[in-house]
Amino acid sequence: MAAPAPHWPSVRGRARADAGPLLLVACVVAVVALLAGATPPLIRSTSDEATRDAVRRAADDAAVRVESDWPDDYGPTGGRLRSPRLADDVAAVGALAEDDLDPGLRAALQSPVTTVSSISLAVTDGSVQRRLQLEYLRGAAGGPAVTWIAGRAPGPADADEFVEVPLNGAPWPMQIGLSETDARVLGAEPGDRIPVQDDQRTPYDVRVSGIFRPVDANDPAWRLAPWLLQPAANRDGLGSTRFGGLLSAESLPDARLAFRADQLRRSVRFDADPDKLTWKSAQALAATVGELKGGSAVSAERGDSLKWATQLDSVLSDLRSQIATATAQAAVLLIAVLAGALLVIGLAAELLTRRRAAALTTARERGASLPGLATELTVESIAVTVPAALLGLGLSVAIVGSASPVWVLPFLAIAVGTGPVSGTLTAARATRDRRTPANRSARRWASRTGQLRRAALDLAVLALAAASLIALRQRGIGSSADGDVGLPAAAPALVALAVALLLVRLLPYGIRAGLRLTLRSRRPLALFAAARAAATSSRVLPAFTLITAIALASFAFTLHTTTARGLSDGAWQTVGADARLTVGSGAARSTAAGPTTAGPTATVAGRVAAAPGVRHVVAARVVENERFIADSTAVTARLVVVDTAAFRRLLGDTPLPGLPDVPGLTATRDGAVPALVRTGDRSLRPGTSFRLPVVTNTSIPLTAVGAAPAIGAGDVVVVDAAAARAAGLASEPDTIWATGPGAAGAIRATAVDGRLTARTDVLADRRTAPLTSGLVHLYLIAAGVLLALGLLGFAVAAAASAPERWETLARLRTLGLRPRDSHRVAAGELLPVLLVTALCGPALGALLARITLGPLELRRLTGQLSDPVTVVPWWVLELVTVGASAAVLVAVVAAEAAVRRRRRLGDVLRAGGG
Amino acid sequence: MTGALLAVRQVNRTFGSGAAAVHALRDVSFDVEPGTMVALVGRSGSGKTTLLNVIGGLDRPDSGTVMVDGLEVTGLDEDGLSRLRRDKVSYVFQTFGLIPVLSAAENVGVPLRLARAEPRERERRVRLLLDLVGLGDHAEQRPGELSGGQQQRVAIARALAASPRLLVADEPTGQLDAETGLAVMGLLRGVVESEGVTAVVATHDPVMMALADRVIRIGDGRVEP
Repeated sequence: MAAPAPHWPSVRGRARADAGPLLLVACVVAVVALLAGATPPLIRSTSDEATRDAVRRAADDAAVRVESDWPDDYGPTGGRLRSPRLADDVAAVGALAEDDLDPGLRAALQSPVTTVSSISLAVTDGSVQRRLQLEYLRGAAGGPAVTWIAGRAPGPADADEFVEVPLNGAPWPMQIGLSETDARVLGAEPGDRIPVQDDQRTPYDVRVSGIFRPVDANDPAWRLAPWLLQPAANRDGLGSTRFGGLLSAESLPDARLAFRADQLRRSVRFDADPDKLTWKSAQALAATVGELKGGSAVSAERGDSLKWATQLDSVLSDLRSQIATATAQAAVLLIAVLAGALLVIGLAAELLTRRRAAALTTARERGASLPGLATELTVESIAVTVPAALLGLGLSVAIVGSASPVWVLPFLAIAVGTGPVSGTLTAARATRDRRTPANRSARRWASRTGQLRRAALDLAVLALAAASLIALRQRGIGSSADGDVGLPAAAPALVALAVALLLVRLLPYGIRAGLRLTLRSRRPLALFAAARAAATSSRVLPAFTLITAIALASFAFTLHTTTARGLSDGAWQTVGADARLTVGSGAARSTAAGPTTAGPTATVAGRVAAAPGVRHVVAARVVENERFIADSTAVTARLVVVDTAAFRRLLGDTPLPGLPDVPGLTATRDGAVPALVRTGDRSLRPGTSFRLPVVTNTSIPLTAVGAAPAIGAGDVVVVDAAAARAAGLASEPDTIWATGPGAAGAIRATAVDGRLTARTDVLADRRTAPLTSGLVHLYLIAAGVLLALGLLGFAVAAAASAPERWETLARLRTLGLRPRDSHRVAAGELLPVLLVTALCGPALGALLARITLGPLELRRLTGQLSDPVTVVPWWVLELVTVGASAAVLVAVVAAEAAVRRRRRLGDVLRAGGG
Repeated sequence: MTGALLAVRQVNRTFGSGAAAVHALRDVSFDVEPGTMVALVGRSGSGKTTLLNVIGGLDRPDSGTVMVDGLEVTGLDEDGLSRLRRDKVSYVFQTFGLIPVLSAAENVGVPLRLARAEPRERERRVRLLLDLVGLGDHAEQRPGELSGGQQQRVAIARALAASPRLLVADEPTGQLDAETGLAVMGLLRGVVESEGVTAVVATHDPVMMALADRVIRIGDGRVEP
């Protein structure tokens, strides 16, 4: 059978007559194609940018390091044999490490820098805590270039290159070079001997051979040992200053002899090269790094020499989670926009079908076949939607450089089919020989069948929404970083559709109740409006579209405000105050109690507190990765030793939770030190008794008396400084928290060499992070597009019902209704849907955000320990919804009035009016 | 002439312009005495509906005047026309024009609500009119539950609700079968007499012409002698 040929004049005539609605469909398709086409490539490019950003921020953590034990250097007589080619051996370790690397991983890393580092030695020439650490550096082109401005480069200590040194002999001399800054501060000159000893008071013979000046102070190799160029404060404890002694290839063998094998560490470091990374390559890299570390662990057990260490895999793993979350959230928003757009397309199809119903019926009655009509409508639909989709995709290419058809194609298929299906069904219904049964019970049966069919459809939508919500809450949403999304990502849209459907089913009852009220009132306009609203309330799609779109827009905007608040809260949690200064070694372990004199940190805290713009300051001891024992199980957590009163005042000046439990820190129970605890696995919880082992092989008993405030990532135990001291725990502060607008500036002004973390900087960093920034923009774009779609749908629905409204108003005018009153009746007819939307749309959006916030894993983007608090901007939502709806209502009524003015009222007297 | 409820003088109405101009009414003049029923007869396109529109103030003539109960319709503004339609002129449509979600009684009460009639008076009048048109037992039924003839009777009751002086009906039996149409015509004739209203009815129906006090024939926009 030949395919039905379109009747081209009919196709052209219909298109000309309905150019407006068709143009509207084209606009919606173009905008959605632009958004849906641009989002996947934007996600890809943002993921690439996020990968580079994460690796750049991770810096040291992203570096790949390999260490190698020294081979035995025992000589024939039992002493230690000098190895004059030791520098070459060290270089060989670097070459070996490079060979060991997977080519893909090697390509993503910078040139290696090989280092040999001694332990930190105490300079014993005075009361100031001065430390000296010896370093040998070798970059890709040898060591970082230096100019010897005094003396000469370090040379061998002995003329005999292969000398064998007895094991318990005098300290073996070694020559070092000092930078001119280090030499000036130390007061050292070429030929001087620097008196140093290790922590066991073993002396070392270190001699200055020369003073150097770096050729390029920015050479990456210097970053590994910056103390070689200038003294570094607090590296070896608060108040300490570390100097660096540069070893040369000639003096390195002497350093090897001077130190035990465990006092001199040789390592090779490969910094990651962020510019060479993409998200895709990083995913492959994560697996390679994992294999490298796994192989390293095995070879370490076997005693092989190379031991690889890096946090790059964990950096990439965190990134993978973030990207998976961001991708899934983008999919959630995109599905919401597509759902809204499809509903508007459905309304436009309904409008077209209403406008064409008479023409289609006539065509059918004149013998046009249904396949023929369907073909004509499909041709028209393709001619409108496909170019619009191509335009949208083209704009996507022009704006973001690429376009993905993945989301566009299914949307386009539905958009192409909706109009023709609706039109063909109308034509079919108009001419089918199905008459209303004369028998009342048969009519009732037919009515019940229709109701059951609708109920079954409603139940199917509800079941699908419930299934998607359960899947979302059970499986979470960020399970795949590959962009694969399933039912969970559709949950917000489906739940919005389901609840909107329920509301739309209930709406007629509400309107009828309103109609009954107006019948008892003396306000004829209200009665006419209610009567019209009741007459049109059986039309599901307009209210369904508006409520769904506004709910999803509110959902997207609530995610935006929640993320903004979450980022702020996350910054508070990360820093713990407006600014934090960390001095000294954060890895310092707990020790037995010492004297309780005010240390330098307390002095610095005092200076900060006295600065303008600072409200509260507290100094604390923070020990990372402290081990506690609870029920014979080791628990690793951050230990914070702090003055309770000051801490309470500080917390009271922040939005951080946990303040109510702080006073409990000072109430000692049964000799146990009270502690506030927070552990992710709840291994420590209020009421738990646990112990803190200290280096003297004793332990301090603790009792958890409350929940610790959320400060920093991971588990935390907070104890009172006085209680800890009384229990025998030293707590010299190494961290200062300060609140107030001038906190960061005040700490900076102290010029103390430590790590300053300002809350505003953390917040700015997180806000501008590619994934977060991209998603926040997407929230706003999605909210805006959904709001526009909802209002557009409302306008289209109003246009579809305009002829009936015109007829009714015209008839009412023949009964004496004034023209201006007819505008009010028209507005009143459209008002119930807007009222329900204004009341229920934002509430539904807020509810959606509330029930999906956990599974959406916003915390991964906000940097919080737990899900952010849902922030529903009620005023904004209501103002925007009510304001925009009212504006559209006024515009629709005004436009209809303008159209009505051009038509003669007398037309209504002609058959059928209208 | 001075006692005429409706006076139409030299009314012209043209749609379009130039070669495409359609002269719907040309120098139409006639009077209708109070309490009479006039049948307006003519072929399709002869200008009947245009004339009814001009009489009822739904359309404005290009020239000429229309006086209803001493009021010059053609000189009224929109509010004046609304008052005219509320107080003096009412319509019966071929398609009934009832509000589907309201009962028969509520539909009949619509003009009274617009006239701000007291609820009790409104209910009394509605009951009276429904009894008059023979639908006293169908007061609570909605238009969808009534037959075409019953709906038209409700429409007639509604048209009479505000006690108009002039009833304008355009093909009131156009959508009814012959038997029902005859009943409706009879009803119209009856209410003209019982309510003392003047009626101008456009029709093709010979029965209606027989029931009318006077027949005015329209052809090509002119009143035929």
